[in-house]
Amino acid sequence: MEYKPTILSGGESRNDDQIMAAHERKHVRRVSGPGLPGSDGQGEPLVIMELLQRLRVKDVMRDHDIISVVRTDTMHFAQNLMKRNHISGVPVVEGKRLFGIVSINDIIMALEGGWIGDPCQKHMATNLVVLEEDMPLAFALKYFENYIFGRFPVLNKERDLVGIVSQRDVTRVLMRELTNELARLEGGAPTLGAAGEQPKSEGALPYYSMRQFVVVRNDLQNAGKAANEIKKMLGEAGVEKKIIRRVAVAAYELEINICIHSLGGSITFILDGHKATVVAKDKGPGIKDVEWALRDGTSTANDWIRSMGFGAGMGLSNSKRVADFFDIKSTVPTGTTVLCEFNLPEKK
Amino acid sequence: MNINDIVKTLDGTLVAGGDSDRTVGTVVANDLMSDVLLNDGDDILLLTSLASDQAIRTANIVGAMCVVVHNAKPLPQTMCQVADTLGIPLVSSPLSKYESCVRIHDFLKAETGS
Repeated sequence: MEYKPTILSGGESRNDDQIMAAHERKHVRRVSGPGLPGSDGQGEPLVIMELLQRLRVKDVMRDHDIISVVRTDTMHFAQNLMKRNHISGVPVVEGKRLFGIVSINDIIMALEGGWIGDPCQKHMATNLVVLEEDMPLAFALKYFENYIFGRFPVLNKERDLVGIVSQRDVTRVLMRELTNELARLEGGAPTLGAAGEQPKSEGALPYYSMRQFVVVRNDLQNAGKAANEIKKMLGEAGVEKKIIRRVAVAAYELEINICIHSLGGSITFILDGHKATVVAKDKGPGIKDVEWALRDGTSTANDWIRSMGFGAGMGLSNSKRVADFFDIKSTVPTGTTVLCEFNLPEKK
Repeated sequence: MNINDIVKTLDGTLVAGGDSDRTVGTVVANDLMSDVLLNDGDDILLLTSLASDQAIRTANIVGAMCVVVHNAKPLPQTMCQVADTLGIPLVSSPLSKYESCVRIHDFLKAETGS
């Protein structure tokens, strides 16, 4: 479906049905998986893709101290305002209503044409591309990719101006949220310092690393690669062999589970000085009875899966058996998240 | 019992993964990979009928020293590639899994003299 931007013309309000229809069209496209600008979204780490869908434009926009002019202000006044505040455009607003935008380009043309003393309403741009506050951040990034504008006005459902979003705002919030996400995945352990300094403590293994692997549904050809990679990482970090085996077994079982039982998902592996963590997250269909699924020998696997050597119904119970801490949360049809933690003894 | 002994005892052929000087610590005969993962033994010799990449990946997870596929099953090229990449000796044997178990049992019994 063609992607259509929200454009306001001449400050007129749009029909709400049209707005919602446009929004819904975008949501349909969203489900098919847009990622970062310039990509099809297939290669992005899931953490980032989820973040871009979860965050809304209103989470990143600047909603206070919006620098603006009114229609009767002169272009010269707008020019000075932009110069003082180091910005390249200024919205023309009265009350909460957005009438237009005066850009640096309009100012240059006014200087060349000799109408810098005219009121803004005569020369402002009125064909505006705007964002809606409830749009996913992924769409804001698409806007920045598709248009040359450095900032976009943000409107609410009532078509009032509620904020401005610039690329700098997006970067600032994304960095903050990615740091929080990292801390969450790490289970509260300290995050990497701004300079990428590795957290260290007395007697702890001197390393920190995190990797995420995408697991594709029914792709048994590649299933197990993540677990083998995790095993390699642990070996390179000098972790005890018996612990490596336990972590690898859990990662492998969970990876296979995602591959054969779910719609696809990811394995995230975090290694720090005291703990190795494996998080398996899938996109559904979820487990109706988690207690039943945790019992040895219970499986919903079909003959094809069994012919490939899996489906013995040991995956979850095996992961639980080898982990120092095990947790599982599942919702039908949203999906399942399994957490396995392994304590790493201090190096002597 | 090392790789050479395994190949000779099982009338097999070393098809991928290269040779190694590791010796058998535990013997596991199974086609269900989750069952294999349950085993805590070291230096596992995995006897299986599963001719797939996953047999090798599973073997790597448990640190197996060798994988033997039985009944002269054709081995997928990718399976051999994975064995080469992970450095796990892969042996093809014309014997049934049961016959392999018997021969290996006899060999180990003779080896330990018990």
